[in-house]
Amino acid sequence: MAGSSEAPRRRAAVLAPPEPAPPKSEPEPVKKPAAPLPFLLDFFPLEDEKNTRLAAFFRNLKEGRLTTTKCRSDGTLAWPPRVVCPQCHQADLDWVDLPMVGRIYAFSAVLMGAPLGMESEVPFVVGLVDIPDVPFRLFGRIVGTPWEQCHVGQKVRAEPYELPDGRVFYRFRTVG
Amino acid sequence: MSFGRGVALVGGATTKFGVRAATWAELAQEAGGALFRAVPALTRADVDSLFVGAAEPERFAFQSHVAPFAAEQMGLAPRRVIQRTELACASGQSAIRSAYAAIASGLSDVAVAVGVEKMNIPSMAEANTSMGCVMDRAWDGAHGATAPPFFAMVAQRHQLEYGTSDDALAAVSEKNHRFANSNPNAQFFDKTFDRAKLGRLPVVAPPLRLGDCSSMTDGAAAVVLVADELATKYTKTPVRVAGTGQYADFHNLANAGSLTDWVGLRHAAGEAFRSAGIGPKDLDFAEMHDCFTISEIVEYEAIGLCPPGAGGQYVLDGRSSLGGDVVVNTRGGLLGCGHPLGATGIAQAVEVFDQFEGRVPAARQVPDPHWALVHNLSGSANVHSVMIYEGAS
Ligand SMILES: [Zn+2]
Repeated sequence: MAGSSEAPRRRAAVLAPPEPAPPKSEPEPVKKPAAPLPFLLDFFPLEDEKNTRLAAFFRNLKEGRLTTTKCRSDGTLAWPPRVVCPQCHQADLDWVDLPMVGRIYAFSAVLMGAPLGMESEVPFVVGLVDIPDVPFRLFGRIVGTPWEQCHVGQKVRAEPYELPDGRVFYRFRTVG
Repeated sequence: MSFGRGVALVGGATTKFGVRAATWAELAQEAGGALFRAVPALTRADVDSLFVGAAEPERFAFQSHVAPFAAEQMGLAPRRVIQRTELACASGQSAIRSAYAAIASGLSDVAVAVGVEKMNIPSMAEANTSMGCVMDRAWDGAHGATAPPFFAMVAQRHQLEYGTSDDALAAVSEKNHRFANSNPNAQFFDKTFDRAKLGRLPVVAPPLRLGDCSSMTDGAAAVVLVADELATKYTKTPVRVAGTGQYADFHNLANAGSLTDWVGLRHAAGEAFRSAGIGPKDLDFAEMHDCFTISEIVEYEAIGLCPPGAGGQYVLDGRSSLGGDVVVNTRGGLLGCGHPLGATGIAQAVEVFDQFEGRVPAARQVPDPHWALVHNLSGSANVHSVMIYEGAS
């Protein structure tokens, strides 16, 4: 589906400098089930060093930075972040900042059929976001505008948010 | 082009699809019973290999190691090859492709491919979670990505880039539900849906309404494939496996590229056509993966039935209906039959055999067919699997 065999998908990574920290906005009301989900029903990754070699991603996210890995040898920028370069298969990777601001390429909303633990968040918006100068889009939850008023091309900014158990994840908030 | 010795599809059968008061094991038994009734010359001892298409038995039925489990349910004792194939929504076709490869290589002579899925469970939220882990669970699923919002984005982009109308989407659903009315095993056999009614159903993920989405379905199906030289022992109308192709090029949604140009399907169909020595214009009918209405529209384009962007008009003009260019989804499609993940690809092959044998109801019989294509996508249309079959006449 993507153009990997038609045209090189990987472009030289030209990264914008990290955006200044987003203005503090009203926190989203947290509507989570009272009891934590059993491990095999919980979508969110385990984030600490005991469980993943990508713990730096979540540490960076806690500081408000959306980051991924870049290969020191050939510059390949991958999403999601890696421990081995998918291009040259070396493990010598750097963490680099991704642009925090992008525009909606496509979106929809979940009005029914939400997974366990997300039923109370219905309706919610998800979308693919174009971000500049990287060879992929980012997919994520989009907050700040009801789905009926979202539009393709709309500006969004990535932001971290905290899960009830202290883990952190990212989402997009509409800008303006 | 040949991949080895010739392989023929010599029969098959499906269970009733729907919200079934039956367990995974019971569905497997039903599929076995239906297969041996449909192919009376087939004996248990003939079957040397079993391929079991099952997408998520661990999640939906809390059962692993399902290949020997299914063999026991079906009364089989495979002595050459026994394995499960898992490729999400294409697990069934994956079983057929594996059976084909085993026979073509000489490893097997008579192989059964069965697909079983039990999807209706007491907690449908838990079932939705299981559908979410078909995606990249940690990086996409955690945002709430399941199939409906993904294919809704495909529809949104197709509407934006090509002006495809909601009415064109509904036309796919109307056609496939109409065909399902001639298939008693279809989940929606006894339900009629015209475009006006479809347009009033609730929105699941805009712009997709309930009638644009295939269902969570329980069901099973089985086919038998044999080496060419054994085919006439089982049927007067063997169907030759003429070609096949498959392509996978991404998994995380971030790496999807264009949502409306399914490059992977162009590759998979191109390889299948090359190996069969035919092109899209030669097809008489096709079973395509209409998990959502928009899927069938994009597939017309990527398989080469019409130019990019013209898929909506293709269905509106009746070119995929009886009397059109290539009749698509006579079985009733995933929209009309429901979509028990592992069983779908097998049930499509059953329809291919039955069409060539000329024994489906007149309301959906393609006149004198010779070439058929079967397509399954899986996940977020990131894998495409295609087979081409040639009838005897
Ligand atoms: Zn590299």
